Amino acid sequence: MEKNKFYEDLSLVLLRTQRTLLVVGALFLLLLFFIWKIQILDHKKYWNLSEANRIRESVLTASRGLILDRNGVILADNAASFKASIIRENCQDYNFSLQRISQLLGVEEDVLRKRIAKYEAWPRFKPIVIKDNLDLREVTRIEARRLEFPELVVSTDPRRFYPFGSLAAHIIGYLQELSPEEVKSGKYKGKGLGDLVGRTGVEREYEPLLVGGDGKAMDIVDSQGRVREEMGRVEPIPGQTISLSLDFDLQRRATELLEGREGAIVVLDPKTGEILALASYPTYDPNKFITRFTPEEWIGLINRPDHPLENRAIRGLYAPGSVFKVAMALGGLDSGVITEETTFFCAGTTQLYGRPFSCWFSGGHGVLNLTEAIRHSCNIYFYQTGRRLGIDRIAEYAKELGFGSPTGVDLPGEKEGLVPTPEWSQRARKASWYPGETISVSIGQGPLVVTPLQVSVHTALVANRGKKPVPRLLRFPVHSTGHNDGDSDRRGVRIKEETFEKVIRGMWKCVNEGGTGRAASLQGFDVCGKTGSTQLISQERAEKLGRVIKTHSWFTGFAPQKNPRVVITVLVEYGGMGGATAAPIARELFDLFRSKHD
Amino acid sequence: MIDRRLLENIDWFLVGLLLLNSLFGALIIYSSSHYLPGNYALRQLIWIAASLIALFLFLVVDYKVLLTYSTYFYGALMLVLVLMLFTGTSIAGAKSWIRISSFQVQPSELAKIALILVLAHFFSERKTSYISSGTAVLGFGLTAVPFILVACQPDLGTAMCFLPLLLGALIMAGLRRKAVVVMAIVCLLAGIAGWNLALKDYQKKRLTTVVFPGKDPQGAGYHILQSKIAIGSGGLFGKGFKKGTQSQLRFLPARHTDFVFSVVGEELGFIGVVAALLLCYLFVSRIFRSAGKSRDRAGVYLVYLVGTIVTFQILVNVSMVIGLFPIVGIPLPLFSYGGSSLLANYLGVSLVLNVKMRRFVNI
Repeated sequence: MEKNKFYEDLSLVLLRTQRTLLVVGALFLLLLFFIWKIQILDHKKYWNLSEANRIRESVLTASRGLILDRNGVILADNAASFKASIIRENCQDYNFSLQRISQLLGVEEDVLRKRIAKYEAWPRFKPIVIKDNLDLREVTRIEARRLEFPELVVSTDPRRFYPFGSLAAHIIGYLQELSPEEVKSGKYKGKGLGDLVGRTGVEREYEPLLVGGDGKAMDIVDSQGRVREEMGRVEPIPGQTISLSLDFDLQRRATELLEGREGAIVVLDPKTGEILALASYPTYDPNKFITRFTPEEWIGLINRPDHPLENRAIRGLYAPGSVFKVAMALGGLDSGVITEETTFFCAGTTQLYGRPFSCWFSGGHGVLNLTEAIRHSCNIYFYQTGRRLGIDRIAEYAKELGFGSPTGVDLPGEKEGLVPTPEWSQRARKASWYPGETISVSIGQGPLVVTPLQVSVHTALVANRGKKPVPRLLRFPVHSTGHNDGDSDRRGVRIKEETFEKVIRGMWKCVNEGGTGRAASLQGFDVCGKTGSTQLISQERAEKLGRVIKTHSWFTGFAPQKNPRVVITVLVEYGGMGGATAAPIARELFDLFRSKHD
Repeated sequence: MIDRRLLENIDWFLVGLLLLNSLFGALIIYSSSHYLPGNYALRQLIWIAASLIALFLFLVVDYKVLLTYSTYFYGALMLVLVLMLFTGTSIAGAKSWIRISSFQVQPSELAKIALILVLAHFFSERKTSYISSGTAVLGFGLTAVPFILVACQPDLGTAMCFLPLLLGALIMAGLRRKAVVVMAIVCLLAGIAGWNLALKDYQKKRLTTVVFPGKDPQGAGYHILQSKIAIGSGGLFGKGFKKGTQSQLRFLPARHTDFVFSVVGEELGFIGVVAALLLCYLFVSRIFRSAGKSRDRAGVYLVYLVGTIVTFQILVNVSMVIGLFPIVGIPLPLFSYGGSSLLANYLGVSLVLNVKMRRFVNI
């Protein structure tokens, strides 16, 4: 009893404490439940997030396969290049960062902004390349201020390098960065935004061989993005080295010969279709394109009126002119409208379908047979042949002999030209065919257009006496798919061998017996060929380009007459007479070929 | 001066729990800071030792005496808090520290003890079974002063810790249902007013990110997300001591202070979390159960209020790191690194021991 004086009645206290403890216990259990949900139920999700936090994958770019000529001369090589990238995560103040990087690298802020905007969707720790092809001075400048610029990193990359610059630029092609649309299209497996891919030429055609497989490095990084240790590494698989059929010496000579002109040269092995040289001029330096930006030079090149980027040998469309007379002769003989002995009288001009048509030799050739007509490239003879054949048969033979369809060369973007027919006229021009046009087509004018490579393949077909090769550039690795299964073949050519012999006799005389192609003659090499000088489509256009009106100059031929080993086709735009400009160029190349192979 | 009988009555079990919790905490602090300069784990151990000494020194004085002088403690600390608004050392944007030679103390932590004493003092004088409105108003006023002063530093987290003391005192004093309803309405109104008038933008942002942590992963939601990733990725058994990637690679913020619990979750897994929460629960329930072992009302209040504030901090901190509560900067008692908080908690336990060991003593 006495106790109670000192000790109060605490029953209420006990009750309230117990209730409190109950509530506290319940709250603890509630927390435990939430933690259980995060840790046990959603463990996988958070585990992945934590792995994504700490593991950073970076691409190890595979070096691209080399491109060699047939003798192992390196035409496309790899060199180390330095590039500067920005890591947005490390920017203290993004705008200030851009400002000072702009000063450091000498790139305008706007350019940087646009560049980075392309990669907006990337995680912020991923480096975005903002300048490449840094020279050593720039590299040291950045490295020296590394601590000041935690957002800027310099890394190396194998970079494409073309040791001979513009030489064979049209064949080899160049690389350009993938656009977001291309990445989305899914055509480039394993490649992402900012990767370089072959854009034209062999680089594009054989992209799958050349590209190799990118590797990757997995690094453990901390929250600042610093690499703590390497976790794993998949080495890149270098791309395959490919060897082209090109002969470096011929290619270089061909390019030199075209210098200062506009035109194309094709040198072909008629048996195999291998392209020994393929030059197009003017040309450009592909090394300048291997940057990630669109330089002014690029815009300049696109806008230049002489289109240096265009590969004239496969994309230039020209009237074949007198070069087409070979096909006319073959068609005439095969169809029987003429024989080797058929003669026509050339008075320098003639009246056909109520219109005058003239020969290039206004004095007239007099009476001549087929061989002589080819030798002197007489227009009147082939007007008559054409009139007898009619446009449908001309078109048929033209197609049989390699015109009007792609040659199947292993280069992207080849044009197929046009062999006109009355049906084509109705369809495309919504106009009927005029008989006079048949006469024009007979001497390779009118709507008929061809590419230099088609002329070259056509010449190889003639040289092979009917066996048509498929032109190709790739020598190694030999691939079974597609077109080049080795030697030429009589693909759909029904014209008899002896018919070819008759025409070839004319082509031989054309070069070796004072014909129009005499400038191509070479002692002891039996060059057979045909010249062509094509009128321009319109005089106004030539004036607009500010040129003296001159014809395009053609020469196509092969050597030797028996068992031919080489076909050479030369086209010089506005080159004047074929015999005067193109034929001497061809001679130089025949000479070089012979000296290399004898 | 201190009776041997008193020593025999010390609740050694509670002291044991206190040390166990503290050492567990020191271990986690070691794991999450061993790669940083500053020897945090060692410093925490020194703080534990110093606080333990303070705890025993504090026991010497009868809590009755402490209560008698409680108004002076309280008054003195409020004065310090007022002065600090003008002179305090700013750390992380809040003037909540004063520097004494080479080390800093947080008077707001000690203000908790002062408020406990002064509330116990005044509430125990009213001996009715239910609370009178006069006492309620007095309690409200006593709590409001440190709350406002600390909130102005601005340290909303610590300021919030004063509120459960008032609530605890009111509950223990016997709160009527009607009063509960009125308080709820007042709180709601104060909350709305506070949101619009008092909260700073960053504080509002923190509140909204609790509701939508994914909305701004780089900004305010970042801490919550990283903490949840740490805990969630720990799984059942954890990644192992010193092997938590979130903590070792510094993705987790404030690893050795406010987010120490996330490190437990990541490195020791659900097992570790259960162990830590069990230790905490045993600790607070031991304190609460001591309330009934008091000889008078004042002792009951002291014990109950210490239990309340410790429990409140544990619940808020854990809710905070698992994303249920805004990040307000309340440490996990006994676990988080920090001398002032540790000392305050030890002094609180000292009060409990004080009350408990003097229950049989006649004065």
